Amino acid sequence: MEILTVENLSFTYPESCRKAVNNVSFGVEKGEFIALCGATGSGKSTLLRLLKRELTPLGELTGRVMLRNADIREMSICDSAGKVGFVMQRPEQQIVTDKVWHELAFGLENLGTPQKEMRRRVAEISEYFGISGWFDKRVDELSGGQKQLLNLAAVMVMQPELLILDEPTAQLDPIAAADFIATLHKLNRELGLTIIIAEHRLEDVIPICDKLMVMNSGMLQLYLPPRLATQKLNEYPALLKSMPASVRIYHGLNKKETACPLTIREGADFITGNFENQIKKIDFCMKAAPGTPVLEMEDVWFRYAKSMPDVLKGTGFAAYKGEIFCLLGGNGSGKSTLLKTAAGVVKAYRGQIKVLGKRTEKYKENSLYKECLAFLPQDAQTVFLKNTVREELAEVGGAERIPQKLFALLSGKEIFDLHPYDLSGGEQQLVALAKVLAAKPQLLLLDEPTKGLDARTKEEVIELLKELRNEGMAIVIVTHDVEFAAETADRCAMFFRGEVIAEDVPEQFFASNNFYTTAANRMTREHYENVVTVEQAIALCSRNEERSGS
Amino acid sequence: MRTLENSNPIATAVFFLCAAGIAMFSRDPVITGLSLIGAVLLWMIQGEGGHWFLAVFLLAGTLVNPLFNHKGSMVLFVLNNNPVTLEALLYGALSSAMVVATIYWFRSFSKIMTSDKLLYILGSTMPKLSLILSMALRYVPLFSRQAKTVSDAQKTLGLYREENWIDNIRGKIRVFSVMVTWTLENGIITADSMEARGYGAGRRSFFSIYRFTLRDVLFLTGSLLLTAISLLAMYGGDTPAVVSFYPALEVISVKNWPIKTWVSYISYGILVFLPAVAKVGEEIKWKYLQSKI
Repeated sequence: MEILTVENLSFTYPESCRKAVNNVSFGVEKGEFIALCGATGSGKSTLLRLLKRELTPLGELTGRVMLRNADIREMSICDSAGKVGFVMQRPEQQIVTDKVWHELAFGLENLGTPQKEMRRRVAEISEYFGISGWFDKRVDELSGGQKQLLNLAAVMVMQPELLILDEPTAQLDPIAAADFIATLHKLNRELGLTIIIAEHRLEDVIPICDKLMVMNSGMLQLYLPPRLATQKLNEYPALLKSMPASVRIYHGLNKKETACPLTIREGADFITGNFENQIKKIDFCMKAAPGTPVLEMEDVWFRYAKSMPDVLKGTGFAAYKGEIFCLLGGNGSGKSTLLKTAAGVVKAYRGQIKVLGKRTEKYKENSLYKECLAFLPQDAQTVFLKNTVREELAEVGGAERIPQKLFALLSGKEIFDLHPYDLSGGEQQLVALAKVLAAKPQLLLLDEPTKGLDARTKEEVIELLKELRNEGMAIVIVTHDVEFAAETADRCAMFFRGEVIAEDVPEQFFASNNFYTTAANRMTREHYENVVTVEQAIALCSRNEERSGS
Repeated sequence: MRTLENSNPIATAVFFLCAAGIAMFSRDPVITGLSLIGAVLLWMIQGEGGHWFLAVFLLAGTLVNPLFNHKGSMVLFVLNNNPVTLEALLYGALSSAMVVATIYWFRSFSKIMTSDKLLYILGSTMPKLSLILSMALRYVPLFSRQAKTVSDAQKTLGLYREENWIDNIRGKIRVFSVMVTWTLENGIITADSMEARGYGAGRRSFFSIYRFTLRDVLFLTGSLLLTAISLLAMYGGDTPAVVSFYPALEVISVKNWPIKTWVSYISYGILVFLPAVAKVGEEIKWKYLQSKI
């Protein structure tokens, strides 16, 4: 049975001549799991908001949206609020009240549900989502993943028939994101809930979705089961970058006669079934001996308050001129704290930190932050203080001080007259990067630079970082994005229990890890020895093919 | 009876109102004494300490009053040509005991009545105001944390001087102005999230995690009844005060106390010791239940 029918839907924002959504028609069957993808600005968010009456933006709207054959614009307020659930991107800002239990009940309170019924539904939902353990907590004590789960539960408590999610995992770390998607899958499987989800990170969504919807400049381009849709993706190179590793390898290898693999296991079968492994290894050139150390930490200890446990326990490592050093570690392991300590935002109580051979305490006033060290915190928004991007960049010295390539990239995006808060996550990251780079640092510290970035911006960031590295900058990145680390880093290390361990070049670091490694490595580890990135997998497979062919 | 922390917030609040209310307006040394002991006991059974400051306050209040107040007839000694009287000394002791007892009641009140409970009381009468308060309680820590991150971020930008207090104030203003924008920006998302979940759809109902059980009803009526008896016995009719200080100290000896006075003391005594009795009762019951595990 068709639960959602969209007929010739078009939408134009006021004072815009371009249709944000252009004549879109589709139908969704009950119990389907639909993944919506498209580049930033393709109209994904607008389309999703048009499906929920309360969130429909102002503008010119034509066409119809029907939920179970009833036009959503003619439904009663209670039906409209209750039957379509909507979860947005930022976990923090969607939460309304101060306590977990109150947040869960908020929607029911609005609909005037009687106390007894509310008690039952809240109890039921918190058991189902595993919230009971933190039911009495204040919402600001929760982790990002828990907050987003709470947002989902607070919507699900109203028992919607259709759940819409607009990039719900963009602000989460990969593990919390995978958990969140798994919860959605469970809802879909066990309750037959119909789900439409827009996502940047498609690795976890593609294998479980029933249909993949691709949007491009306001129009619906593809609406097919994922295996068929992914096969056609070579027409959309920009989208291909955000696809799972198996799909990218498939398209890189030009084996159109086989079906497109969607999961790690299918990807591994695809490679073993189609390619020899006479050449087992890719050769990578070992980097020359490290240059001069730029950041040195020795036996650093830190805790936030006297009565709290140590976060850094004798941490020691060095970063050298002209290298990118990636520090990987789980959530809440203290990675960000390590970076804050190095940047001098918080003070270690023991041990020493040297920047350019000089102890950080010896830097007077803010000389540490002038042509020496720059730090970009996790939330890029925090570095913005002005009303437009132009003012923001002018404040730091404008085009002269910002690396040329980055400035050109920003100019190309036509964002100079926008408010920094109105930019997409990726654009915010680039502007923030421009702002901190204007200090012409020799050491750049980045905290989760890929959080909330779409595949294209991620590529731009990687390219930029590599160029800065080649110019001699030392870059220290903490991240839990293994794919990003594998592609960018010159050296990787794990941060575990307050210590830096297992320092190595990425090829060896990831090849010797079993769990904490990239998708490409997991797919090829039985066949080849040291493949870490998708590009390497493609290259090695092609070389094997050439050899067996010749 | 359940302990005070576990009782229904409305019953708890009424208890505090009664116990502290009588203590605050009474000038009777026995009532004040009972109130002080009851309040300290309640504070202690919650495992709290910090008595030093209030003990010093009690002593200081007692000693300071006769230095400024020279009424009374029993002169103890003369200081700088001013008489220091026994009446003033005792009156000082009584007033500061009253203040200290009230402080103890409010200490326990603020510990036991968490924001959840206050919102519950408010929510059952004014659901909208209660929601606004709940949102404010959510927003304040969020704001201060974000302000801290922004100010850290701006420090590491190296753009601004931090040499003197003027620079510091400038920095604070910069952070504040961007926080206003941030608040409005977040407000839009929060408003969307509220509307998407049907805010404004009609009459709001109110969810609470507290119940009104029979024990709460008993506790509530008990508190009110004891208070009413105590007040009526004390002020209904012309019951003479047990102690009057000025112009000269007059004390009615215990064997001459009228029945009404006894009734008043006993019912107030039961009221203030209720939480302690409940706590001990729970403790004994728990030991007994544990022995069956």
